[in-house]
Amino acid sequence: MSKKGIRPKSPRNLLFVFEILALLLLFVYEGDKIDRLTLGTGIGLVIIIYLSNYILTKISYGDNYIFLIVTMLISIGIVMIYRIDSSLGIKQLIWLSIGIFLFFLTYFILKYIRGWKNFIYLYIIASYILFFITFVFGSRKGGAINWVSFGGIAFQPAEITKLLVIFILASYYSDTSRWKELKYGPYYLMGIIYSFILLLFLQRDLGTALVFYGIFIMIQFIYEEDRKLVLYNIGLFAIGGILGYTLFDHVKIRFQAWLNPWKYIERQGYQITQSLFAIAEGGFFGRGLGLGYPDFIPVVYTDFIFSAICEEMGVFTGIGIIMLFMILVYRGFKIAISQESLFYKILALGISILFGIQSFIILGGVLKMIPLTGLTLPFVSYGGSSILSSFIALGVLQICSEEIKIKEEFDEQRD
Amino acid sequence: MNKETKRIIVVLVGFCLMFISLIVYISYFQVFKAEAVKNNSYNKRLWINEESILRGSILDRNHKVLAYSEKKDDLYKRYYPYGRLYSHIIGYSYREYGKVGLELQYNNALLNINENAAINEIKNLVIPTTEGNNLRLTIDHELQNKARGLLKGKKGSIVAMNPVTGEIYAMVSLPDFDVSNLKEDWKEISENPNSPLVNRATQGLYAPGSTFKILTTVAALGTPNLDKDYDCVGSTKINGYIFKDYQGKAHGHIDLKQALVKSCNTYFTEKSIEIGKEKMGNVADKFLINGDIPFDLPTKSSQYPYKGNLDKTDIAASAIGQGKVLVTPLNMALVASGIANGGEIVKPILVKEIISKNDKVMKSYNTEVLSQGTDPITAEKVKEMMVEVVKSGTGTNARIKNIEVAGKTGTAENASGKSHAWFVGFAPAKEPKVAVAVILEEEGSTGGKTAAPIARDIMIHVINNIKD
Amino acid sequence: MYNILAILFKYIFIIIIYLFIFSIIRLIYLDIRSMEGISSDNRVYLKLINRKESLPYKIKEYYSIDKNITLGRNNQNNIVVKDPFISKKHFQIIEDEGEYYLEDLNSANGTHLNGDKIFDAMQLEDGDIIRAGQIEFLFVNR
Repeated sequence: MSKKGIRPKSPRNLLFVFEILALLLLFVYEGDKIDRLTLGTGIGLVIIIYLSNYILTKISYGDNYIFLIVTMLISIGIVMIYRIDSSLGIKQLIWLSIGIFLFFLTYFILKYIRGWKNFIYLYIIASYILFFITFVFGSRKGGAINWVSFGGIAFQPAEITKLLVIFILASYYSDTSRWKELKYGPYYLMGIIYSFILLLFLQRDLGTALVFYGIFIMIQFIYEEDRKLVLYNIGLFAIGGILGYTLFDHVKIRFQAWLNPWKYIERQGYQITQSLFAIAEGGFFGRGLGLGYPDFIPVVYTDFIFSAICEEMGVFTGIGIIMLFMILVYRGFKIAISQESLFYKILALGISILFGIQSFIILGGVLKMIPLTGLTLPFVSYGGSSILSSFIALGVLQICSEEIKIKEEFDEQRD
Repeated sequence: MNKETKRIIVVLVGFCLMFISLIVYISYFQVFKAEAVKNNSYNKRLWINEESILRGSILDRNHKVLAYSEKKDDLYKRYYPYGRLYSHIIGYSYREYGKVGLELQYNNALLNINENAAINEIKNLVIPTTEGNNLRLTIDHELQNKARGLLKGKKGSIVAMNPVTGEIYAMVSLPDFDVSNLKEDWKEISENPNSPLVNRATQGLYAPGSTFKILTTVAALGTPNLDKDYDCVGSTKINGYIFKDYQGKAHGHIDLKQALVKSCNTYFTEKSIEIGKEKMGNVADKFLINGDIPFDLPTKSSQYPYKGNLDKTDIAASAIGQGKVLVTPLNMALVASGIANGGEIVKPILVKEIISKNDKVMKSYNTEVLSQGTDPITAEKVKEMMVEVVKSGTGTNARIKNIEVAGKTGTAENASGKSHAWFVGFAPAKEPKVAVAVILEEEGSTGGKTAAPIARDIMIHVINNIKD
Repeated sequence: MYNILAILFKYIFIIIIYLFIFSIIRLIYLDIRSMEGISSDNRVYLKLINRKESLPYKIKEYYSIDKNITLGRNNQNNIVVKDPFISKKHFQIIEDEGEYYLEDLNSANGTHLNGDKIFDAMQLEDGDIIRAGQIEFLFVNR
């Protein structure tokens, strides 16, 4: 993994060029409205991203690509967000800076503190507390109760729960013998994860519920020795889907809007058709930054950022984003395969699956390939919670890409 | 490799497939779907241009204005002076109801927008577009008006065209609707069981009745070994099904020409079995039945399903335009044109040219040959027979003084119980200037009695009034 | 003015993004090739027989041999194996005129060649199995 002599010099410079050009263009676009603050933050962005990529190659002998891919994604996202609303663009820049800080913080915490696999009960309890907070203090936004605000700062607890679920799964499957001794041991895990999914369902946060399920079923598929559990899981999903469709109107509406949005264009199909208009208008090369109409697309900063990018920067850029996610997921899996420690291996898998499935669900949704469920596009969409949790996840993945010190790992095994 | 690693690779491959399917889907969407999606009236981007660009006018062949835009309260408004007359040709362009017809098809031309977005952007930088282009149609307003009047409000359709150039002179479909009064009428229009929104000329599928015998005749002439003589006794039994002549009348000993002139059903049913469905089908294909007719308005394909399961009764029935064969009036006008034009079928055109605001012709549409329906000799023979139909056969009501008219009548039975009355033909026979197809839906009378006189009036009008 | 720039830049952006993707894919490709290179390019190497996953410490699947190599727990060795049954300096492989010899370096638990404990330098042949501590290597010389 830590192959010396190959340095991602060239892509890093390309990224640099991209950002400089985008900045230049945005400054021309904004014209005389540019103030010193914007200029400063813009240049700040370029320096932060360039420096953090450089520093990372120095301090981590792990994977050099994932951070690079992510910074490319986030650069495209910020350019688009800034173009739609410059104040949000600056906010996103601040989130990005905090995100990168958290990335390094996570990296160092995990590097110097070990024994994360022993805290499974803590993760479970923390998850339930977060759900509790959401139910008590949560507010509805776009149909789902998934926002909590404290002192003016709003965040989505589910973004953190995602990571906790990955830690729960990794702790569980890296030490299955411990659970096998218990009667119905394997069923406890299933019960807990399904209780999460049910809670998300009640919050009407279908997208996140799907992500949880996706991570769970895939990890289970890889590590569960009792194969019939995997089958149960698939069966339960089918039953849950059918029940959800018949019992809950919001599920049914989404399904109908997917099958024929043109029929319900004024209401349920409005979002998805506006997205399709944008993508269709963009063509392969786009209309040009600032020359499209992203304002026509609802929730364009978060869920539908991809449609706006396609309209202004072209379907080719859209395909580029899909390919970047594909490489990111591929790298994540590669890290998992090379990782010797089972716990970190599963962590790496969980995080790669998280990035992969979340981006697939929202990209497929805005393209009308699958029913639309509200989710952010990791690293591209606007949003503090999403950016921060994604960077924490990336920090964990970065640690997983390194060879975990043998001595400590050995000690853990003897416990 | 252990089994966990294998499973990890399975999941990874699954993810790669998912992402690749996204790429394939978005590309497919962009290539095949995007155009239609863009033109949806709910796409607000379509109307952005409308605020800054004066939409072009639509003119008839003599430069008479049929649709135009004017500024009113800072917004451009579209006016249609002849409310109903062009509802199926020009259509409409309204924010609330979207765009249909030529208004949709030629939207970019009318707004002077380049289809290539990039070129358009650059063009706009140099000289911002403020006025769109005009469309000059091939339609003759007087004839269009006359044709609509001739239908006397009955359900039906008329297509009149130049068989040599493909220019459509008139295209009427009844019932129609008032495009300048959509707001009040919309509910009624959309609920009317007679579906006034459908353009019957291009999208109405009808049994062609005896007019289809023109094609059976072409097929018969193309079958060298076929015995062209026949003894008609007024009825015949094919595969257990009895085919009768009109009012059971026996025609006696006849040849092909007399069979067409007298529209003898038993002759064509019997002979079609010998000709066979393959040969019949090939002729139908060449006359664009079973194929898409490229046209400025949406069309439906006529059908002669010879590749499917056709038994002898079906073949016999289709030889006289009954059973499984269905045609559009536009397609029948093309059949008449093909015979008139030495077998060559030309592309029907509705838009003659696109003219810029400073009267420069931006683009003109020329004649294109779509298909060689049959060879010139066969076409000439069929033409002679069709002349005789009008001279002394079922189509005498289409006769014009001093001018030779060729035609064929049809009376098509259908599910409603009342037969459709058809007439297709062209004139003058020697040097055709107009081909016409007339259908009166569920008229309950013969084509010779009701459709032929309408066709005659249209042909007279074209010959006397349309010079170029 | 802005429009011209925007139109020009949209093509440049797409080119940069694809160049970026291409260069990352190329680097990953090189990375993979360099990892697999050992087994295909070098003719003489040691192949781990144990299941790599069963060993609780860092070990590679392949070790190429050029000239002399030593194996042991100590970090100064060419091949470092943190096995508790392996001595600080366990054995070495020496090349002499195209032949390879295995020599034990006074290890506590000894070195085995094809099951027999060795006391002297032994000539290695293709297919020999070397055992030290709990690990077994296959000697490959083609």
